[in-house]
Amino acid sequence: MASKDGMTPDRRQLIHKAGSPFRKAAARVSEGTRSSAGGTRSMRRPGHKPHSKALPAPPSAAVIALNRLAFGPRPGDIAHFNSLGSTDELRLIAHIDQQLNPAAIDDSACDARLVAAGFTTLNKSQAQLWQDHYLGDPPWNVRIQPVYETERATFLKGAHSRRQLLEVLTDFWHNHFNIYCWSSSRIYPLWVHWDRDIIRGNTMGNFRQMLQDVATAPEMLYYLDNYTSSNAGPNENFARELLELHTLGAENYFGVMLQGDVPTDGQGRPLGYVDEDVFEATRCLTGWTINFDTGFFEYRDDWHDRFQKHVLGDHYPSDQPPMKDGQDLLDALASHPGTGRYIARKLCRRLISDDPPQAVVDAAAAVFTANVDASDQLAKVVRTIVLSDEFLSTWGEKIKRPFEIAVSSIRATQAEFSWALDESATDSFLWMYDQASQPLFSWRTPDGFTDVKEAWKSTTPRVGTWRLVNWLIDREDDGIYRAAVVAHTPTDIRTATALADFWIHRILGRAMPESERYEIIDFMAQGHNPDLDLPLATDDDTQERLRSMVGLICMSPSFLWR
Amino acid sequence: MIQPTRRNFIVGAAAAAAGATGAIKTRMAFAGPDAEDNNELLVFVFLRGGMDGLSLVLPITGADRSHYETARSYLAVPNTGPDAALALDGIFGINPNAAPLHDLYQANHLAIVVAAGMTEANRSHFDAMEFIERGTPGNKLTSTGWLTRHLASAPNLPPEIIMPSISVGSVQATSLLGDMNTINISDPDSFNLQVGPWEWRSAQRVALRHLYTQDSTWLHQAGLQTLDAVDIVELNTGGNYVPSNGAVYPSGSFGDHLQVVAQMTKLDLGLRVATIDLGGWDTHEGQGDQGQGYFGGEISDLAQGLKALYTDLDGSGASNYTGRMTVVVQSEFGRRLRENADHGTDHGHGNLMLVMGGNTNGGIHGQWPGLANEDLYDGADLAVTTDFRRVLSEILIRRMGNNKLGVVFPGYADYQPLGIVTGVDLPPDYSADGSAIFNDGFESGDTSRWSLTTG
Repeated sequence: MASKDGMTPDRRQLIHKAGSPFRKAAARVSEGTRSSAGGTRSMRRPGHKPHSKALPAPPSAAVIALNRLAFGPRPGDIAHFNSLGSTDELRLIAHIDQQLNPAAIDDSACDARLVAAGFTTLNKSQAQLWQDHYLGDPPWNVRIQPVYETERATFLKGAHSRRQLLEVLTDFWHNHFNIYCWSSSRIYPLWVHWDRDIIRGNTMGNFRQMLQDVATAPEMLYYLDNYTSSNAGPNENFARELLELHTLGAENYFGVMLQGDVPTDGQGRPLGYVDEDVFEATRCLTGWTINFDTGFFEYRDDWHDRFQKHVLGDHYPSDQPPMKDGQDLLDALASHPGTGRYIARKLCRRLISDDPPQAVVDAAAAVFTANVDASDQLAKVVRTIVLSDEFLSTWGEKIKRPFEIAVSSIRATQAEFSWALDESATDSFLWMYDQASQPLFSWRTPDGFTDVKEAWKSTTPRVGTWRLVNWLIDREDDGIYRAAVVAHTPTDIRTATALADFWIHRILGRAMPESERYEIIDFMAQGHNPDLDLPLATDDDTQERLRSMVGLICMSPSFLWR
Repeated sequence: MIQPTRRNFIVGAAAAAAGATGAIKTRMAFAGPDAEDNNELLVFVFLRGGMDGLSLVLPITGADRSHYETARSYLAVPNTGPDAALALDGIFGINPNAAPLHDLYQANHLAIVVAAGMTEANRSHFDAMEFIERGTPGNKLTSTGWLTRHLASAPNLPPEIIMPSISVGSVQATSLLGDMNTINISDPDSFNLQVGPWEWRSAQRVALRHLYTQDSTWLHQAGLQTLDAVDIVELNTGGNYVPSNGAVYPSGSFGDHLQVVAQMTKLDLGLRVATIDLGGWDTHEGQGDQGQGYFGGEISDLAQGLKALYTDLDGSGASNYTGRMTVVVQSEFGRRLRENADHGTDHGHGNLMLVMGGNTNGGIHGQWPGLANEDLYDGADLAVTTDFRRVLSEILIRRMGNNKLGVVFPGYADYQPLGIVTGVDLPPDYSADGSAIFNDGFESGDTSRWSLTTG
């Protein structure tokens, strides 16, 4: 396959194709899709240089906070943040303390939208959900209604709730205790309960309590099979993930090893766990099952393995009182320093960077461990992370995940959806969104969606989210655009430069790097003097161009950094 | 980040100085007189969740058959009746839901490696997947995937390839971690930018490329990677894909994704590596008795899908893709020999690997460790007698012509071919010298510090 004509074989083949029926396809594609010479660029090519290690400089505390503790700024949010104090530090303290007390935040506007959307399942009790959406073999659309409404309400609250940190942490904990919502007809009827009572109810509370709620939630007992686990037939699925994913983490897994060979800390406690601990933990949790008549947790002592157990260095005697083996196990896991480090690291990964500085992880872990009994333990951990030096000095180590891109572009453009079950634009939005690699509650395995940039910079989520924002600024129903770009543009803003600057600041809450800004202006000016007024009010074509420019800003690198 | 061989990097620099036409001559000069481009395609299929290999290929005679039936009173694939295993070699049989694989086996296109896996056990899904896909058992901090390092170190690839690798699915596979030349694609029909105000799409696209050219951070590089990928896919696909030779893919995402592999292969844009996943194998409960039920359905999808891919690509002349294709199928671990009380199986150790292609030495390979209690790993699981890296290394050397095992599988040192595929043996190069390209400043940003995916 040596080349004789100065072209690589693959390039030859491409050109050959261009001479065949593919010519038509090639001709359809606009100039902008081609590189300078010789057709398509190769993915692999000489001189295709590795990227620099330089990252963008950190922006103001307002921008950092609203992109990491919220789903991006809505118009006015930056100014509000900056009114909270005289320095960035004071503003951040005021902001985090407000956000960590969500009940004190007036969210009536968001609540009114939830009412207007006409959801009917979100306030149902666990018993009612089971009764209405599982028992009696209801039709499909009734069974899945709790999932559909939770999904739409999640977007609605992301876009409109002022309790933004609650939404951010809800997303985090849903992935930490991930359940694939479509895995069973016994899970989706209860999805409102899982989201509202187990996840949201605990995001700023006590980890041990959260663990209790998770380990007795029928959704988790079903998803990871513990509901069938008995003395006669132990099932280790839940116990293994409880240790590996929910508490100690794989970073504290010593593999297949004897318990006695695990190194210990100063107090003689094993530093981590081995497979034998998984098997023993499984035995502790036998009999933790579901009553399928009621849809509630049920403990069956006759299913429980009554004999002595040895877990994480502790001896559990035979015949402990009902559920005590399991409670002791959860106590040991929640108070183990390894759990504190693992949870702290994951929260730092969400709120700061993929590989967070050890100092902030250690500080957060220390707070976790010192507050194992506190009712606001998790709030204290988050506060420690947010008020660390690293929180404000780190930027550009991550980009928004697709869910963040979707919600933040809705917030920035003030796009309007009712999110009601019968709104077709909402359905279309979700259909576009689901192609962007992060469909809500739909990660199949219990590890949840990954939180590292290597995955999210892949080409599928890149293309999918670019398409999504372009769809968002272009969707109209009966002549009404969901994102009212033209209407939101003040009448005295009419030049390409002014339009670009207005929308850059409105969307990003800050300036763009000059080189990026010029591209936005150039796009809007299209070769004309960028300081001449454009006929925005009267010319459809200019309006389309403005919408496209807003889409472009939401596709830019600046919009993605977090 | 391209991870070129040092040669390619030098060529790139030389080409920039010499101008475009000089590039090829320079490459030829550097490549040496007897270097031939290798155009083999490697398809890496990952079965996520721990596929129960003992319900796919199982003993049908002897003492191990008794051990098998004793340990699996519900799940054992029967020897007789309508659901009986299909005999492979007199010792092993294959689940009847895998009849298409049985066909491939009989046609000598399918090799089955028994009792393969990681020699050091790890019963965590997420650790085990990380170890295998990074190609470094015991170390999940490795910043690149094994296929990334293969593509970067292969001495016989042209410096310029339009579509060297694809990763089919929602995000780029970890086996291609750090490869900036990969196209991650799920559905070609939506892999385009044909959304938004139509009269400004083209101008917006020009501006978008400019935006991502303004800097060279990891995000800017990812943006350009994406724009290049969209250009290539948009320019070369369109209309419905119609499989060749009457191939019928199973419905569902696995069948759809396999079709993407076939479609991209047939574009003749230089595809060398493709990754694809099939999940849903974590069968702790209600797996399906006698190899049927849920598991039978999964196996049926797998077998039909692989057979369809083979059929689709098995043309003649220039369309004889199977003549240069090798498909490897593996899972992160096998499942326990003894079934649990829920008619399921818990995490185990050894498992089979499948190798399919036009240059495969069909048959059973590897050493079967046996199912007697004393033969089991940790008293519970099928043991591992073949390091998975041995299988992959043989394909790399004999098919891909890449003997840089020290780069692709650092720390692996005792390679011997099993004879799974045909090809020329090269002495394995265990030196890590070539891997200097990953540590000398050409490393991708700070991914060297990138740590755990799952925790």
